[in-house]
Amino acid sequence: MNSAAIPFLTAAALGRLIQRQDISPVEAVEAYLERIYRVDRKLNSYITVCRDHALAAARQAEQEIAAGEIRSPLHGVPVAVKDQFNTAGILTTGGSKVLATNVPTHDATVISNLKNAGAILMGKLNMSEFATGNSVYHHWGTPRNPWDRTRNPGTSSSGSGAATAAFLCATSLGEDTGGSIRNPANNCGLVGLRPTWGLVSRYGMLGASWSNDIGGPISRTAEDCALTLQAIAGPDPNDLYTTQTPTPDYQAELNGDIKGLRIGVVKEGLYADFVQPQVRDTVSKAIGTLESLGASVDEVSIPLLPYTAAINRIHIEVEAAPSHWEWLATQPQNYDHNVRTDFLTGCVVPGQLYYKALKLRELIRAQVFEALDKVDVLALPNTSEPAPLINNKPGIFSQEEARARMSGRRSLTGSFNLASVPALAVHCGFVSAEGSPKLPTALQLAGRPFSDGMLLRVAHHFQEATPWHIQRPPI
Amino acid sequence: MADLTKDEVRSLGKAAGLDLQEPHLTEVTYNINALRELLDDLNPPGLDEVEPLPIIHPYHQIGQ
Repeated sequence: MNSAAIPFLTAAALGRLIQRQDISPVEAVEAYLERIYRVDRKLNSYITVCRDHALAAARQAEQEIAAGEIRSPLHGVPVAVKDQFNTAGILTTGGSKVLATNVPTHDATVISNLKNAGAILMGKLNMSEFATGNSVYHHWGTPRNPWDRTRNPGTSSSGSGAATAAFLCATSLGEDTGGSIRNPANNCGLVGLRPTWGLVSRYGMLGASWSNDIGGPISRTAEDCALTLQAIAGPDPNDLYTTQTPTPDYQAELNGDIKGLRIGVVKEGLYADFVQPQVRDTVSKAIGTLESLGASVDEVSIPLLPYTAAINRIHIEVEAAPSHWEWLATQPQNYDHNVRTDFLTGCVVPGQLYYKALKLRELIRAQVFEALDKVDVLALPNTSEPAPLINNKPGIFSQEEARARMSGRRSLTGSFNLASVPALAVHCGFVSAEGSPKLPTALQLAGRPFSDGMLLRVAHHFQEATPWHIQRPPI
Repeated sequence: MADLTKDEVRSLGKAAGLDLQEPHLTEVTYNINALRELLDDLNPPGLDEVEPLPIIHPYHQIGQ
């Protein structure tokens, strides 16, 4: 195979060719390095490229595979991770100037797990500062959307979305506090899974909001997502909230049937007035595709969904602020303007407001579970509009603007963070915006705790029946 | 509920050990007032009865 074609393989296909020794891991890493150096100057998706580490790991993988020691389907496959996960001996910045020289001594558990699976770490991916959604200034360069470089690749796992869509890694990890895996998957035309909270260890991950954060895969296919999740999921004594339940075989779960699956369209999501008609139409067609594959479709209600953004925002800001207290006092100038404002807000949120948000969270959780008592999977748009233009203007200029930032489109993903359930975004078609005729959009699916495999199965069947995942961005 | 003034928000900052300066003082005031406004309007049935349960939902299988 021509080495320039290697990056365009799925992670699963590349893994199979590596296991058969048709492609060596060294050849795969070199092909990705060449593409990163040629393409990434247009996207700024990587903060750090681990050239030497990757080549050394690839040589080791090559020897192990030649000796018949296959660790997993990702053995020898180049992956990249959001710069929110600690990597021993490798710069870990959280996308911030505050941590511009931070080199951890230990790997995050998800990194150890990827290495144990034989995956090759290509590098650390760009992100919104400290995984917040509002940052404008990117110390390591502004990440850009491969489908239109004037547009946002999605926050906060921006580099994970851009690099995966542009074939600069075979699969990637992001982290999702309020939608930060699903939004880049939406904007970049990918599959992103926010796993059930507790399925993936948070140990060694720079925290945004402890009760909402979780790492998960951003990939080009549901199968690649399944392989990536398989590698990172499982119990961890360093994170007491990880489940002790044995990890299922997610790749095997892809092959189950979706005939008879009950899909509940969340009416407060699909029919919300803040959802653009072209997004609604595209998502409706995707739900129709699932129906044609044998699923049944009904409507369900989550009445508090449109208000989720504000409730989510209070949790995130209050939980994030204490980690930044000292830095806000000693090096405030090193923060992005908007991120500094958000963390300062978290420091002064009145207690009774936070208490009310905690109670509202419980009601949202009850509403999500009530909807899931009636159906197997919830379906709704992932975002209300196409990828927005990159914002270059920091600041909040009115209370109305502040209110708008905590309403509407940001409510579509946050309910499932607050309910701690799994949720997935899968590219389901294209929409247009001024100057951009072809921007991806995604169908969002959510399920009961630990139904991650079922969500991947639905996305896999959807991809088998549709052409969206084989489209390539013009980069 | 009346909006908080910048002086009141500055006092909240002081209580938290932070000296809020412009332009952040104005923007934090916008944020806090927007959050108060949004949550003041939100009083769904059952809110008074519900307890803020732990983050871990009942389905979670910790320790099994």
